[in-house]
Amino acid sequence: MTYIASVNGTALAVFGVVVGVTMIITYIASKRIATATDFWAAGRSLTGPQNGLAIAGDYMSAASFLGIAGLIFVFGFDGFLYCVGFLVAFLAVLFLLAEQMRNAGKYTFADVLAYRMKQPPARAAAALGTLAVVAFYLIAQMVGAGVIIEGLVGISFPWAVILTGAFMVTYIVLGGMLATSWVQIIKAVLMLSCGVVLTVWVLSEIGWNPINLFTDARAESSDGEAYLKPGLFLSTPLDTVSLGIGLVLGTAGLPHILMRFFTVPTAKAARSSVIWGMVLIGLFYLMTTALGFGSRAILGKGGEEAAGETGNCAVPTLADKLGGDLLLAIVAGVAFATILAVVAGLVISASGAVAHDVWSNIVRRNRDSEREEVWVAKIAAFGIGALAIFIAILGGATLNVSFMVGLAFAVAASANFPALLLSLTWRRFNTTGAVVGVLFGVISSVALVVISPTVWPGPDSEGGALSWYSLANPGILSVPIGFIGCFLGTMLARERAAEAKFDELKVRSETGLAAEPATGTTLTGRSRQQQRAAAAAATTMVPRM
Amino acid sequence: MAQQRTDTDWEAIERSPEFQELTRSKRAFVLPATIFFMVWYFGFIALCGYASDFMGREFITDGLTVGYVLALTQFVMSWWLAAWYVRRANRVWDPLSARVRDSVEGGVAGEPAPGTGRFRRGEAVAEHEEVPQR
Repeated sequence: MTYIASVNGTALAVFGVVVGVTMIITYIASKRIATATDFWAAGRSLTGPQNGLAIAGDYMSAASFLGIAGLIFVFGFDGFLYCVGFLVAFLAVLFLLAEQMRNAGKYTFADVLAYRMKQPPARAAAALGTLAVVAFYLIAQMVGAGVIIEGLVGISFPWAVILTGAFMVTYIVLGGMLATSWVQIIKAVLMLSCGVVLTVWVLSEIGWNPINLFTDARAESSDGEAYLKPGLFLSTPLDTVSLGIGLVLGTAGLPHILMRFFTVPTAKAARSSVIWGMVLIGLFYLMTTALGFGSRAILGKGGEEAAGETGNCAVPTLADKLGGDLLLAIVAGVAFATILAVVAGLVISASGAVAHDVWSNIVRRNRDSEREEVWVAKIAAFGIGALAIFIAILGGATLNVSFMVGLAFAVAASANFPALLLSLTWRRFNTTGAVVGVLFGVISSVALVVISPTVWPGPDSEGGALSWYSLANPGILSVPIGFIGCFLGTMLARERAAEAKFDELKVRSETGLAAEPATGTTLTGRSRQQQRAAAAAATTMVPRM
Repeated sequence: MAQQRTDTDWEAIERSPEFQELTRSKRAFVLPATIFFMVWYFGFIALCGYASDFMGREFITDGLTVGYVLALTQFVMSWWLAAWYVRRANRVWDPLSARVRDSVEGGVAGEPAPGTGRFRRGEAVAEHEEVPQR
């Protein structure tokens, strides 16, 4: 970090614009949302393309915007490996979950996971899976926000974390999913535009031949030929495979991504939103080639100190070199918007787990009103936000951000994905199976990361705490353990009620019969009369798109 | 919501020829496609892990590695499979699932009126009884 001289005025102005625009959206959204469906699912009235942008905005964190290009800058080819896994993962979401979520669910993926199970235990398991993923992911993002804002703008780390948390909670408490979705849409547009500008600029610098990215980068790297090969960052082959498993299956278990499919009116719109998301996300990841290899080609060895140990500041340093203070400020502003959009998506999914799954379905046994449910969600969002700020400041900049994001993906792949998939596909699967599976998945992935050599005894020591275990990524063990937990738990008990309800879940998830209707609430607004008409039309079950 | 009544005989819908055709047709795509993308992706990952030198080999032109080109094929594969899925969904599965819904709601000409469809369980339930949503 070389920019900690003083507060950067231009960057501060760009931050002001980002905050101003998102606050206006939040204010408008707060006037529109009336029901719990508006609060958690944006009235189920986003279009496919809108939700596709929101998925891109929800999914691509600062780790994608700055982190991957940084890894490429430092380690070459291995950084690009992440892009591949992050994109291919959406095929699993599209084939197995997106439409099924929309058809059979309501607010959280627990609605589908626990559909045919005994409510309290199955909901508790799903809530545990959600909160575990959100905890690791959220704290990683908050720490990342603090580090980046401190580095680029000059606001001190604790204040940067507090501001990020405060804006995030404001979006959710006032504007719910409607505001969150539009913050994510705007962020996706900003991030993609920024990527295009930087890519074109980089290409113009290297003579418009993309191949020069590789040859110039190789010439500027002290690793030479090895820079364009896999193995500099991921040096253990088994670890590479393990990481691949976590990346490709983790996405299908991320609660904030699965939640996005409740925001569209039909399964067809859910499907089209995945396609839009995949095109946008794929295009951005293609551009990281230019950002990552390009920053190596243009900044060279001299840029290494400014880019930082893991390269997180490679893109900002590149922007500074190409376009000076203004471009640097824009990149910083986009990074800030990126983090805000992701943390808001994470916290609203956590508030769903607390209010919808734990409070409504476990504590109050569905005797609470919709109003109460939303109030609990707002209090939960506030509490989770405060806790995340506290932990992020306590842990400080020393928390290893990339290991926490990896852990979030590992928990999602090992705990949430097996139980969700089996609930939809295996008739015999039951409550005990879901509970044991989620517990096995959470415990195994967390435990394996704790005993991994990068965490305990620490990154600089020789070998791990246990001499026979040296994997940094737990997926290759923890995902099978999650599935085995589901299987063993299921075999321990026989639950006729859950088996009998399998037909209902299957028919509903595949056909959209009895799917939750849209309310017609949108940001641009409709009269109450139009909203009622839309709701009436939706209940007749005629597909609206 | 008429369709949320407890009297819907889900088991009978599941066994109906319309629904069976839908799930069979969908499975015939999703299962092979999932296996294909898993093999293609994990093949790539395994090569990255175990065949680093092969992935670093340059071909066609200096600087372009086998690894990067194989990574690009993953992008193409993802977009292509996704587009294929959507085409099939729009052309085959949507009409099939609409047929299932019609057969349940009795919306097709010549079928019984809504609420008296062939998948109704028993007669005792009132026409517009609503099941609590949560």
